[in-house]
Amino acid sequence: MTRHHRAVPALAAAAIGIVAAVSGSGTAYADPDTDFANQLHTYGIYGPKDYNAWLGKIACQRLSNNIDHDAYQSAKFVGTNLSRRNATEQNWQFLSAAIDFYCPDKRSVLEDAAHQSQAGDRA
Amino acid sequence: MTRRSLHTGMAAVALGLVATSLSVAGPAAADASDDYPIPRRIITTTCDAEQYLQAVRDTSPVYYQRYMIDRNNRPVDIQQMAEDRIHWFFSLDPAARRQYSEDTATNVYYEQVATHWGNWAKVFFNNKGVVAKATDVCLSYPAGNMQVWDFASNS
Repeated sequence: MTRHHRAVPALAAAAIGIVAAVSGSGTAYADPDTDFANQLHTYGIYGPKDYNAWLGKIACQRLSNNIDHDAYQSAKFVGTNLSRRNATEQNWQFLSAAIDFYCPDKRSVLEDAAHQSQAGDRA
Repeated sequence: MTRRSLHTGMAAVALGLVATSLSVAGPAAADASDDYPIPRRIITTTCDAEQYLQAVRDTSPVYYQRYMIDRNNRPVDIQQMAEDRIHWFFSLDPAARRQYSEDTATNVYYEQVATHWGNWAKVFFNNKGVVAKATDVCLSYPAGNMQVWDFASNS
C-alpha cells in the first residue's frame, strides 16, 4: 500500500468521527425555531411552534422596516398576537428571545427601552 | 376466487359506491347569508381597503404574510387586477356589497378575478376572525395608505 492509499482510510475515519460528533450533539444544535420554542417554554409561553417562530420573525422584520419604531411598539405588537392571558412581562420575554434568535442586530432597541425606563421616560 | 379476481371485485364495489354517492349528491345550491361568503363586518365597515389591510397586518400578521406572499407569486397584472377589484368593492355601499356577496355565492363564475387568482380576496372575505379583529381597529389607520400593498416594507 502506498502512502497515499494509507491516508485515505485515515481521512475517512476522521470524517466519520466528525459526523458522529455532530449527530450526537443533541438538542443544542436543533433548528432555531425549536430552540426558540424551548426558550419560550421557560417563560411559560406555549402555543404552536411554527406560529410563534413566524411571529418572532415578523417582529424582527417590523423593526427593520420601521413599522415598529421602538421596543415598546414591538412589545405591543407581540402582545396583540399572543395569548391575552399572557402577562406583560411574558410579552417582553417573547420579544427579547425573538431578537436573540432571529435578529440579534436589533438588540439595541431593547437596551434603548431599558435606558428610557431607567430614566423614567416611560411607565 | 383468485387474488386477482378479488381485487377486481373490490374495485367494482368501490366504483359503485363512488357512482352512487355522486348521483345522490345533486347540484349544490347555496344562497348568501349575512356572513357568507362575505362577513357582515366587511359589508358594513366604513374603512377603506388600505385601512383594513394595515389593521390586518397588525392584528393577524401571519395571515397578512400568507396573503401577501401568495399575491407576490402572481403576475403583476393580476396583482393590479385584484387591487383594483377590492377598491371597487370598498367603493360600494353595504346594500351593493351584500348583493355582490349573493352574486358570488350563487354563481361561481361571477367574480372574474377569481378565475385568475382563486384566493385574490382571502384576507378581505374569507375568515371571520381576521375580519373581526381588523374591523375593530381599522378606523385608527390612515386612509388611502397605498404603501401597505408593498410587502417588502411591511413584512
